[in-house]
Amino acid sequence: MTRLRHHWIVRLTHWINVIALTIMVGSGLRIFNAYPRFARRGETFCCNPWEGHPIPRNLTFGGWLGGARHWHFAMMWVLVVNGLIYVAFIYLHGEWRDLVPRRGYFRDAWEMLKFYLFVRRDHPVQGKHNALQRGTYFVLPWIGLLTVLTGIAIWKPVQLAPLTDLFGGFVWARYWHFVAMLLLVALSFIHVFMVFTVDPYSLRSIITGGYNPENSPEERNARPFINLLPNRARKVEAPE
Amino acid sequence: MTVDRRKFLTITGSAVSAAILASCNSRGPKSAEKLVKYAERKNEGLERALFRHTSMDATLSGAKFAGTALPSYFVSRTVPLWSDAAMGPWSLEIGGMVDRPIRLSLQQLMDLPRTHQRVNHYCVEGWTAVEQWTGVRFSDLAKLVGAHRDAKYVDFESFDDGYHESWDVESAMHKQTVVAYGLDGHMLGPAHGAPARLYSPVKLGYKNTKYLTRIMFLPARNGGYWSDRGYEWYGGV
Repeated sequence: MTRLRHHWIVRLTHWINVIALTIMVGSGLRIFNAYPRFARRGETFCCNPWEGHPIPRNLTFGGWLGGARHWHFAMMWVLVVNGLIYVAFIYLHGEWRDLVPRRGYFRDAWEMLKFYLFVRRDHPVQGKHNALQRGTYFVLPWIGLLTVLTGIAIWKPVQLAPLTDLFGGFVWARYWHFVAMLLLVALSFIHVFMVFTVDPYSLRSIITGGYNPENSPEERNARPFINLLPNRARKVEAPE
Repeated sequence: MTVDRRKFLTITGSAVSAAILASCNSRGPKSAEKLVKYAERKNEGLERALFRHTSMDATLSGAKFAGTALPSYFVSRTVPLWSDAAMGPWSLEIGGMVDRPIRLSLQQLMDLPRTHQRVNHYCVEGWTAVEQWTGVRFSDLAKLVGAHRDAKYVDFESFDDGYHESWDVESAMHKQTVVAYGLDGHMLGPAHGAPARLYSPVKLGYKNTKYLTRIMFLPARNGGYWSDRGYEWYGGV
C-alpha cells in the first residue's frame, strides 16, 4: 500500500539543497585552498591538525579563487532562501513533529544504536523516522544556521563586527564555518549511506513522494546491508 | 525502447552523478555566468547599504603583530622601487573633481595630521594580519583638496606596473582609511608599498593600492587591477 511520505515542497527543497550545498561546499573548499590554514599571519593555530594542507583540487569547484567566490556568494542566497522555505513549511504544515526529539530521546537513540550493532535483535518501534534519524534531521537545520551565521561573520568582519566577535573573532569564525561545513558533509554522507544500505525504498519517497510502509526498515528488521528485500514472510503471517 | 521506473532512475542517477563529476574543479557552466554576475551586482548593493562609517575594525587584545610574516605583494617582476635619480622626487598627486588639486612631497604628507591605527588586514585569500599603520586619514586629504560632492568614486594609482583600484567614496571617507607611510613604527619599506600606500580594514587587501602616485576623484568607477581580472570590484569587508 503506497502512501504519500514527503510533501512536494519537502522533496523540492531537498533536491535544491543537494545542488546548492554541493556547490557551496565545493566553492568553499576552493576558497579555503587559497590559504589552507587558520592561523593569523605570524601566529600559529591550536586546533587544526592539517594546518597548511590544501583540499585535493578535484574536490573543489569554481576553478580559481575569484570564480569560487562568485559562486559562493551567489549560491548562498539559494541555500538560505531554500532553507527558510523548508523550515517555514515543516513548521506550518506540522512535519516538524516527526523531526524533533521526543521524551526519552536518548534512550531511544541508544536502543537504535544497539540494534545496528547487533546487541539488540529486533528493530525498535518507531514512527516516521527512527531516533537516530530524528536527531540528525533535527540538528541539520541548526548546523545550517551556524554555517550561515559564521559565513556572514567572515564575509563582513568589520561592518558586522559584533557577530564576528560572537564567534571569537575572524580566525575562529572561519574555523567554526569550516567545522560546521565538515559536520554537514559528514551527516550527508551517513545519510546517503544509510539510504542505500538500509532503506533504498525511501529513494522513491523523496522523488515521487510515494512510500510503502510494508517495506520500512522496521518491518524488514533492516540494518546496513541486512534484510534489504521486502519481508514477504511477515505479510503472509498476518492476513486479517 | 521502453524505460521502466528502475531504468529511469538508473539513467537519471548516472546522468546526475556524471554532471557532478564533470563539474569538479571546473569553473561551472558558461550559461550560469550571467546569473553569478547578477548576484555579484545585487550583493554589492546590499554591501553598500550595510556600510556604516561608525563600524570600526578592532583587533583582539591577544593578537600579535604579523611583522615580517606580512606577505609582500606587487605585480611588477621585481620590488617596485622609486628612484629619485631616474624619476625625480616622489610626490603624491591628488586631483580630479576637486577645488584645489595638489602635489604632496613625502615630507609634506608627513607634516599633515598623523594617525596611528592598529588594525586587521583582510586578504581575499582568507588570511588576516595585525599591523600598526601610520599615516594621514583619507578624509583629511579630501577636505584639504576640497573634493566635490558629486565625486562618488576615487581611483588610487601606483607606479607598480599600472596597478590601481577604484573605490566608492564612502569607503574611502571611512575614518580607518589612511594614506600610510609608516608600518609598525618604522617608515614603510619597499616590500609593503613605500613611499606611501593606501591602507584600510574596510576593504580587502587588493583594493589597498601600494606604491601610490596619484589619487583621482571621479564621477564614475574606474575598475582596478584585480577587479578587471575577475575579483569583486567592491571588495568590502
